[in-house]
Amino acid sequence: MTNASPRFPNGTTVAIGAILVALPWVLPSLTLASEILVVATGALSCTLLLGSVGLLSFGQGLYFGLGAYVSAILIRDFGMNASVAALAASVAGCLLAAAAGLLIVRRQGVYFVMLTLAFAQMGFFLALAFPKLTAGENGLGNVPRTTIAFGKFALSSPGLLYAFLALLCFAAFAIVQRIIASPFGSVLNSIRHNDNRSEALGYDVRRFKFAAVTIAGGIAALAGAMNTLMLSFVPLSAVDVETSERLLIASLIGGVGSPLGALVGATVLGAMSDFLSPVWPRWSMIVALLLIVVVLFLRDGLLGLGSVMGRHRKEAPNG
Amino acid sequence: MRNRREILAAAAVGIAAPALLRRAWAQQDAIEIGSLVSLSGTFANIGEQVDIGSKVAFDYYKTAAGKPLRYVQMDDQGDPGRAVRLTQDAIRDRGIRFFMNCTNSAIALAVAKEVANSGGVYINQAGADEMTGSLCNKNTFRWPVATYSAVNTTVRPFMKQFPDAKKWYTITGQYVFGDSLLKNLKDVLGELGGQHIGNSYHSLSDREYSGFITAAIAAQPDVLCICNFGSQTIDVLRQAVSFGMKRNTKIVVVWSTGLDQFQSLGPDICEGVYFGANYWHGVDTPGNRLLSGVIKEKLKVTPSYLLTAGWACTQATVEALNKAGSTDVPAVIKAFETLSFEGPTGLEKVRAEDHQVLKDYYLLLGKPKAKMRDKDDYVEVLSAEKAFLSPDKTGCKL
Repeated sequence: MTNASPRFPNGTTVAIGAILVALPWVLPSLTLASEILVVATGALSCTLLLGSVGLLSFGQGLYFGLGAYVSAILIRDFGMNASVAALAASVAGCLLAAAAGLLIVRRQGVYFVMLTLAFAQMGFFLALAFPKLTAGENGLGNVPRTTIAFGKFALSSPGLLYAFLALLCFAAFAIVQRIIASPFGSVLNSIRHNDNRSEALGYDVRRFKFAAVTIAGGIAALAGAMNTLMLSFVPLSAVDVETSERLLIASLIGGVGSPLGALVGATVLGAMSDFLSPVWPRWSMIVALLLIVVVLFLRDGLLGLGSVMGRHRKEAPNG
Repeated sequence: MRNRREILAAAAVGIAAPALLRRAWAQQDAIEIGSLVSLSGTFANIGEQVDIGSKVAFDYYKTAAGKPLRYVQMDDQGDPGRAVRLTQDAIRDRGIRFFMNCTNSAIALAVAKEVANSGGVYINQAGADEMTGSLCNKNTFRWPVATYSAVNTTVRPFMKQFPDAKKWYTITGQYVFGDSLLKNLKDVLGELGGQHIGNSYHSLSDREYSGFITAAIAAQPDVLCICNFGSQTIDVLRQAVSFGMKRNTKIVVVWSTGLDQFQSLGPDICEGVYFGANYWHGVDTPGNRLLSGVIKEKLKVTPSYLLTAGWACTQATVEALNKAGSTDVPAVIKAFETLSFEGPTGLEKVRAEDHQVLKDYYLLLGKPKAKMRDKDDYVEVLSAEKAFLSPDKTGCKL
């Protein structure tokens, strides 16, 4: 994130909205566009943590999986509509992240990272250990296509489903942008720069980190609920470490300097996976290569590509 | 302004046109069959073989119901979520109604639901009992046997041959499939007077099993029974043999994939070990002679289970389409339900009550290296039996 707090709404808000509207037109498949929204929302939770507070989490898949299971159970077993299920999943994600946050924000650096990874692993094995609740590795199926709210607007039409997911995705991005633009966001930014100095200024750094972890957990859980609405099914992979990696990689590739990076990263990853996999089964190597290039040369991800090229142009000798 | 609108409309038509044209073309010319195979990701080694087996079968059969067949490869990357998404795309954008294959049960169960909702037909190789049990549906069929059949067709003939081998110890994968094998094994042991003296669970991510094997040795069983699948079967068996368990304990692997696993293990490890398998290339049946001939001619290899599984699902679909004489889905489902064909394991029949293909499951015994007639002759077939849970007990309600 930049040093000065950006305003909200701003050009990025408009760009996010425009991309959400454009995706179904630009991409060859509506389901691919829907999947990108899910990954983008999940990646946004990593962007919030890493870009705003400087916390690298390898465990966002835990909250993603929780959101997926909670929403599926609420829709299938309790007949709840999509809006209530998504909201309840987000609240559940916040609560779990708060519980985990009480422990993990006590540690910094690599210890923080390892704790997030350990919690993610624990979540995966818990999902395996309770097959009656999660259906284990078979995946939780028979989730009906519910309505958006009040028994109206059934999500059986792919267009309407995309519109609803886009709305949820936009809401998540707007919330994160609003947080970054708030005084609370400024404090998070100062903690990212120097948490000792922030503490010396009188801010309770742990409490701020705890709040960020909790909000990020809620956003990741919302993405999990969106995944359930899209698939009508929860695979065990929703809660595995690969999901955590995928969300983190999407945020890093896009760039954690702005929420827009999560959307850009998810779009690039989703499109690569769809277009390259029929051509070359080892396409994941290209993603790995891209990640290496981003980490080494594009600290602000693909979003920073323009500024890097501009800098090179300025530095190049005339003539 | 008007110009811009026109440009946007033209662009939208341009984007949509290939999909629309593809769909129209597909419907008129050929029967497109979507094949769910993991060509990247964790299950790529399985998906590649199933994919090859299916492609060889497409090349061989070429037509069904009087129309040319077109193979549509769908790389699910081992992810059930992606498999569902690809299936939705194939149904909506290409109008595909026929699907086959899977590389794990989660993918098959998820795709089965999606295909059923859209009114298609799907045949797969899932191992999960739920496929033709509590999660069965009218549109889905399964080629390999369920865990009940695997256990009953291996353990019963084994116990008949060794009535004194009473004490059984199990090493089980702690997932639904492993638990199903274990439950069925306990039922059979209870019925035949065997004794289950202990079990060690390993997780899906375990690669090192020495602790479990020493626990098994300490229990002094007559039989060590391995209840898991895939590369974990190979690892458990290899480590059990290296710990010397073959010397005074018989080892039974109730679910193996046959040749490809034997090639990984080598004849020294396989010798004297009992394996259950869905397919063995040495079985002399008309369907297997055909399959072996085509695979050997095209690929210059001996057919393995995975190649055969890809072939078998294609063959069953072709047979059903031919029997129906059309691509009308209800007619094809009806044809499937009364289908009987010369498959890779002999005469194979589809059971209408739960959509399970009734076929033989084999009990194999690893041969000494000196008795192998060729490099792939790892085992002798001790028995080939059909044992299926009666339809009223599967939990399937179609």
